[in-house]
Amino acid sequence: MVKVSNGRCVRRLGLRSMGAARTRNIIAVLAIALTAVLFTSLFTIAASINYSFQQQNFRQAGGDFHGTIKELTWEQVEQFRTDPLIKEDFARMFVGMPTDPPFNKSHVEVSYMEPDAAPHYFCAPEEGTLPREGTNEAATDTHVLALLGVEPKVGAEFTLSFYIDENTKDRQLVTRTYTLSGWWSYDSAVVANHVLLPRSEAEELCALGSGDPYSMTGVWTLDLMFKNSLSIRDDVNAVLANHGLQGEDPSAENYHRIGVNWGYSGVQLSNSFDTGTLLAIAVVLLLIIFTGYLIIYNVFQISVSNDIRFYGLLKTIGTTPRQLKRIIRQQALLLSLIGIPIGLVLGFFIGNKLTPVVMSQLSYKNVFVSFNPWIFIGAALFALVTVLISCAKPARVAARVSPVEAVRYAEGAAGGKRGERTAKKGASLPAMAWANLGRSRGKTAVTVISLTLAVVLLTVTYTFSLGFDMNKYLQNKADVDFIAGSASYFQTSGMFGSEDDAVSEQIISDIDARSGITESGRIYGQTSSMQQFITEDWLRHSWEGWSTPEVLDMMVDNAEKVGNLLADRVTVYGMEDFPLSLLNVLEGDLEPLKDPSKNAIAAVYFTDDYNSTEWGTNYAKLGDTVTIRYVDETEYFWRDTGEVIDDPGILDSYSGSREWGTRSKVYEDKQYTVCALVNIPNSISYRFWGADQFIMGAEQFVQDSGTSSVMTYVFNTTDESEDAMEEFLSEYTDSVQPMYDYESRKIYEAEFEGFRGMFMTMGGALSLIIGLVGVLNFINAVLTGILTRRRELAVLQSIGMTGGQLKKMLIFEGLYYTLLSLAAALVLALCAGPLMGHALGSVFWFFTYRFTVLPIIVTLPVFLLLGAAVPLLVYRSVARHTIVERLRETDA
Amino acid sequence: MTVLETKDLRKTYGAGETEVHALAGVNMSVQKGEFVAVVGTSGSGKSTLLHMLGGLDRPTSGSVSVDGRELGSMADEELTIFRRRKIGFVFQNYNLVPVLSVYENILLPIQLDGREPDGEYIGQIIDTLGLEGKLKNLPNNLSGGQQQRVAIARALAAKPAIILADEPTGNLDSRTSQDVMGLLKVTSARFGQTIVMITHNEEIAQMANRIIRIEDGLIVERR
Repeated sequence: MVKVSNGRCVRRLGLRSMGAARTRNIIAVLAIALTAVLFTSLFTIAASINYSFQQQNFRQAGGDFHGTIKELTWEQVEQFRTDPLIKEDFARMFVGMPTDPPFNKSHVEVSYMEPDAAPHYFCAPEEGTLPREGTNEAATDTHVLALLGVEPKVGAEFTLSFYIDENTKDRQLVTRTYTLSGWWSYDSAVVANHVLLPRSEAEELCALGSGDPYSMTGVWTLDLMFKNSLSIRDDVNAVLANHGLQGEDPSAENYHRIGVNWGYSGVQLSNSFDTGTLLAIAVVLLLIIFTGYLIIYNVFQISVSNDIRFYGLLKTIGTTPRQLKRIIRQQALLLSLIGIPIGLVLGFFIGNKLTPVVMSQLSYKNVFVSFNPWIFIGAALFALVTVLISCAKPARVAARVSPVEAVRYAEGAAGGKRGERTAKKGASLPAMAWANLGRSRGKTAVTVISLTLAVVLLTVTYTFSLGFDMNKYLQNKADVDFIAGSASYFQTSGMFGSEDDAVSEQIISDIDARSGITESGRIYGQTSSMQQFITEDWLRHSWEGWSTPEVLDMMVDNAEKVGNLLADRVTVYGMEDFPLSLLNVLEGDLEPLKDPSKNAIAAVYFTDDYNSTEWGTNYAKLGDTVTIRYVDETEYFWRDTGEVIDDPGILDSYSGSREWGTRSKVYEDKQYTVCALVNIPNSISYRFWGADQFIMGAEQFVQDSGTSSVMTYVFNTTDESEDAMEEFLSEYTDSVQPMYDYESRKIYEAEFEGFRGMFMTMGGALSLIIGLVGVLNFINAVLTGILTRRRELAVLQSIGMTGGQLKKMLIFEGLYYTLLSLAAALVLALCAGPLMGHALGSVFWFFTYRFTVLPIIVTLPVFLLLGAAVPLLVYRSVARHTIVERLRETDA
Repeated sequence: MTVLETKDLRKTYGAGETEVHALAGVNMSVQKGEFVAVVGTSGSGKSTLLHMLGGLDRPTSGSVSVDGRELGSMADEELTIFRRRKIGFVFQNYNLVPVLSVYENILLPIQLDGREPDGEYIGQIIDTLGLEGKLKNLPNNLSGGQQQRVAIARALAAKPAIILADEPTGNLDSRTSQDVMGLLKVTSARFGQTIVMITHNEEIAQMANRIIRIEDGLIVERR
């Protein structure tokens, strides 16, 4: 094909013909903008969640630098620094750690940091400065200051005792008094707290060290930033390689320890979006593309069929189909150039507003709104792709037009295949209006679908939020006002395993000192070693989900045995009367638990999300005898000879082939009678999957296990004092006992409402925007429908249709559009509703499907108004021209 | 009996330097049952005249009366209703409603008026115009001549006092034109229908009973 430079001419044609279609342009720009709004807000929300997730990871990882070269001397630091691969670098010298109370539960590091490093460790002072060289200044965070009991005020003096050579046998406690040069707020997501010293002070302290080669004191680390975070591990290794070192094989000579910030790695990134989330995002993306397609396609389709004579003319005088396509594509791109930026800006604002709503439902401590340029690039690209897909078919239609036919082309000619109408009774206004809708079935269908989509989405949103069932949500929560326990117990992967996690009597008495408590009780958790004895079958049954058959056989072989029963782990609660009353008794009676002389025990059966008992989750039946072994001491032994290993230390470095095991050495076996089978509400149970569970009375538990670690303290208050208690606990667990936390009925209810609110807000926003798109589509359809028929309407008037009759016919047309949409939505709601309800019910256990057409009924008046008002308004602008003027309009 | 009468009918477009006198004082009258052709060149004012006669446009001054009623005295709504009862139109490009069948198009003016069509009369019209086999067709499936016949049938259906035809053969070849003119003449005769037709074609005009020639907004010759 000969390449002719006709681009400019084609472009001029495109531009000029565009100028002629002002209304089309406005609607197309709006449509493109709305599509871009949808994409941008979706991407903003997704990117913000991801960004917040990453920020949370950085805080847990300790900083946001890409990689680290560890265990360096200052000379090495200076050598590595010159490496051209490194974009930025920050050196830090570790000095020591305070580990004695009050720091026993916190991770605090004393060190010198180069000033530029501080922000990367989240140590930028909010007030004051970093410590100045040659002073006795130090900077730290509010958490360390709180533990020391010092007010965060620049210039305050504080004394800190900490260990140097902390990780060696020769650790040395040093005590220094510093002047606070600056402080920053404690961020609970950050794992390590820092006390920063001037370099001279740090070096002076390190000089006191023992010089133990394994000591961390005086050791430098060099944190690195590279050009990007795509291949951090390779980059760090490349830096090492430049100095003849490597960080991969610890057994080789030239090994040097490195760190790669896992907050950046792709694994973490993909974890933050599980398949479900990705699927949801994909569905929403497709929905947006479809919505955008519906309107942009309609706008271009209509405009092409209106201008078909023009395209026919162009073709007659020698414009090629390719050039015609280019003209249309060019117009689309030009309109995108205006529409997309508008959409990006609006979408970003909407996304910003919605992000916190979504984030409040995810357990992130810090919410960051991302301003990632990729949001805009991505949204713009998606919007552009939608535009291009949408105008592809209209462009093809224009390109394929035959010059001769184009002159005769009239809207509705496509439907002329049937060529006949069978109506016998003649024409009535409603029938004419109906026939007019049928002229361009594609346009009508697309318009109706886009309106339907909005209504359906609204119905789904409403059904969804209506179906959120508070009772179902609360049914696996204990019927109690407050639960207090260690913070780790309440974490998502709840933990309770040591006395450190126990609620101290001090806390309980602090709570009891408050007024308004009506009922209360302790739930003791297991912190000592206990075993139960079960049949081989049950052992296999309870482990088979987690283990291969070989491992199961080995477990059976290796288990300690009493008769034909095998020892296995067990999980036991001790409960005071009040928590006992929160249990759901399936069989038997809890009374015997309260008398330690009865040696009674209750067997716990779990429930599924729908609160029905899973009978396979315990083996004990009413009246059974359960043996619990309290192990005080265990010993190691060789499996082949049974010989006791006196010094278990040798096992650390043992590399022979002899197998060894552990067994109870000092222990007590005690037998209990099962007096009841119970369900325990999730909110007061061990919040992790463990072994078979049993419940004893509190006295029995304390007496037999010899431990009294309170896992949770549960209590009810009078209604009047509930708010005050909530406030007290919130304040108390924040400042006085930060390692402890609580849950309350209010929190559950707020959680639930928040979740529902999120769906309402998101669904509402989505319905609203898609509704806008639908209405825009409708306006466009009515507008073009009337404008292209200006002449025909004038004819109708000239042969005797009154203005009133004409308006009536147009209103009928408008109403048909909107009522058809509602009918379609209704049919969808009727057919798909129960199906969707069932699906939702199986995903969200607290969802109860309730059939509703309320959104459709509510939209009815709006749609009636729209259906009547839009045609009237458009007609009014047409009616400004006299019949003669309109009749005179030439066909071209 | 006079069905149509104008008195010093004037229509002026624009003002000042761009003022155009489309009609500069037209006086004419048409008797019942007459078939009158108005002839003039393009821009002579003949279309403006037709629009005035049909009440589609209002004169700057002067008056038009149809069937004894003065059009200028009627409000828009009233005028429309009067028009659909008393005046039938036949246009150069047929102007049929594309979504209605031939039969529905013919009945449309009567039904818009909320009247029951006179079945026998409609049957006669259809018969006269040879449309029996086409009643269910949509206009787009008909030839130009056939479409114009439907338009004539539509104009006749309401038994108007007068039919105004605007270049009814303008889009047709000469044979079909002869055909359509023949039909107009026949209907005029058979139904006693008054017809005013405008055309620029002398040959076509010859088929009318009377020719009125118009130039620069004035009647220059009557015959």
